[in-house]
Amino acid sequence: MHKCGIFCIFAANFEEFSKVAVLDSLYLGLSGYAWITIVTIMGIFVVMARSRIPAEVAFLGALTVLMITGVVTEEEGMAGFGSEPVVVHAAFFVIIAGLLQSGVLYWLTKNVLGDPSNYHNAVLRLMVPTSLLSAFLNSINVVALFIDAVKIWARKLNISPSKLLLPLSYAASLGGMCTLLGNSSNLVIAGLYLNKTGESMNVFTPFLPGIILTAVGVMLVVALQRFIPSRESAEMSFETTSDYTVELLVPTDNPAVGMSVEEAGLYRVKGGSLFEIVRFDKEIIMPVSKDEWVIGGDRLIYAGQINELLELKRTHGLAAADHHVWSIKDIDNKRKMRTAYVCFGSELIGTSMANSDFEQKNNVALVAVARQGRRVKGQPREIRLQAGDTLLLECPSKGESKLEQDNRHALTFFDSHFVPQLGSKTITSALILVLMFVISSFHMLPLMATTMLAAGAMMLLGCCRIQGVTNYIDWELLLILGATIVFSVAITKTGIADAVALSLLNFCGDNPYMVMVVMCLLASITSEVVSDVGAAGIFFPIVFQQANILGCNPMPFVMSLMLSVTISFASPIGSSTHMLIYGPGAFKFTDFARLGLVMHVVLLAVLLVVVNALYPLY
Amino acid sequence: MKTTFKEENTKYVMYFEGRLDTAAAPQTERDVQPLNDCMGHDIILDCTKLEYISSSGLRIFLAILKNAKPKGSKVYIRGLNEDLRQVFAMTGFTSLFEFV
Repeated sequence: MHKCGIFCIFAANFEEFSKVAVLDSLYLGLSGYAWITIVTIMGIFVVMARSRIPAEVAFLGALTVLMITGVVTEEEGMAGFGSEPVVVHAAFFVIIAGLLQSGVLYWLTKNVLGDPSNYHNAVLRLMVPTSLLSAFLNSINVVALFIDAVKIWARKLNISPSKLLLPLSYAASLGGMCTLLGNSSNLVIAGLYLNKTGESMNVFTPFLPGIILTAVGVMLVVALQRFIPSRESAEMSFETTSDYTVELLVPTDNPAVGMSVEEAGLYRVKGGSLFEIVRFDKEIIMPVSKDEWVIGGDRLIYAGQINELLELKRTHGLAAADHHVWSIKDIDNKRKMRTAYVCFGSELIGTSMANSDFEQKNNVALVAVARQGRRVKGQPREIRLQAGDTLLLECPSKGESKLEQDNRHALTFFDSHFVPQLGSKTITSALILVLMFVISSFHMLPLMATTMLAAGAMMLLGCCRIQGVTNYIDWELLLILGATIVFSVAITKTGIADAVALSLLNFCGDNPYMVMVVMCLLASITSEVVSDVGAAGIFFPIVFQQANILGCNPMPFVMSLMLSVTISFASPIGSSTHMLIYGPGAFKFTDFARLGLVMHVVLLAVLLVVVNALYPLY
Repeated sequence: MKTTFKEENTKYVMYFEGRLDTAAAPQTERDVQPLNDCMGHDIILDCTKLEYISSSGLRIFLAILKNAKPKGSKVYIRGLNEDLRQVFAMTGFTSLFEFV
């Protein structure tokens, strides 16, 4: 209490002193507050480029500086964390948890994005559908939706997620240029245009220049993909797709009985190899030749990619069971696949599933085992378990929390990207997603309310488990977003935006092309350091006023501004989509600049030519 | 494990006696070679005195069936006791063979 009192008095006195003595004076046309803002924001770049300090710490540090120097009030400083972008992003994370747990993401990766054979192919296969989707949906939604799907691709292709996440974010920003719904900044500018002119823009007003820029942008990324950095994501070393040893049972009535493994299509399987057969009388066949007969009750032991191998259950009528199965129809097809780690100190360490009553006690069946870094040899149920082993268990469709609670000292359950969970919940969560898009696209409810509603529906309808749902929220990203919004307020409040814009009109004279080029250049640079929405808000009134003074048609000015604030590809804070991929891709702050600067310059040149060709100045 | 081959009324008959387990399987595989010479002859595998059959034994039976089918020969199993019948049922072999 005493310490707090002293601090308050000190802070109040410091603020009072600084206002009177120093900060209200003008230096080079800007107040002391404006200079503090400029130095602080520049400081973030220096700190993040030159040190290993986490981005959220750098941003919060900068926010603290702005607050204690009185540039922003406490209310303004904290308002960012309760703002719409922050809340919307938090709700997205819950929605994504639902999509992951109910199998929508697995389905999307498999069916919409396809199965590229190499990286070059993957970039194109990723960017075209992503940019098309982003034109009709909000680009943030699309990136949030595909982040996990792209991570699965990266694992399949054995490349760093960063190599695909950057094209993902770029494609979403590019596609977002094509309609008013695509990027948040488009809607901001359209709203401001309506206020000024009383004319409402069509959803497809920016389509023609937008689609040309999107095509150029996609071609640039494909051509310059070697500049995309490869960063080792923390998750990559956590669980790999190719290390699972999977055990699948041949039921008595399986049509493969009596055929050779090759004839039955069980020898050469996608994503794995058959390395052992355990017969009903425990006889082991290893190595397995392609002519080996299939006998009912065989346990086929595969090694490879878990998602591909689990497909054999569906395509070849194999079962995951700890007991003999007469017919696949006897298996409860509502049972779920769950992944879990063997905890340190677990009672399962040193025992095998075959020698313990764990499966019977919990009504689960061990299907596969993976041991970090190396493949486990032998029948999964006979393997003596170690701490850290990943187990794939077939579990009852209900009572998941009881299973987790009862075994919390033995196993830690987690959601794997590789395990297909297709079922009725897949349809439910897909419907929630579609409804969310429809409601937000037609503005039936504000975006914040829509996303929160969707997140709530995901939990209430059982598409994602309520327990542990907050683990899916990327809190660091929310802190960065909240702080970014405050910087935007500071730039406007301290008069930096006004001062820069007015001095530019003096510099450019009355040449409208020159004014447009300089404004687009400045707006795009500002959007790199503030955000596309922030830059749109700062520059729209200035650009519109300039068009009026010069006696020009405002549309080419407005359109060039709308497009130029979304070509911010050189910094992660330039766009919300870049911020979304920043953490998952383990990017460094400067990684975006390598390809982003080229994109920025080329697209700026193209947009100025295209906009002036399409919209006459007079 | 003992096997006896006989030709009865244009049918090839193989008598199995004892336990056809993993250890006995290699020798039994050699002993049933005469059945591979069938040219449209039906084959009877007489299991009346067979006490036990392992998965290796079932593989031998399956190999006989796979060899005979393309030649137009039918393979019948005769005299299975209840235990062996259960093994055949569990492994799905009941639907592969004909029983007399």
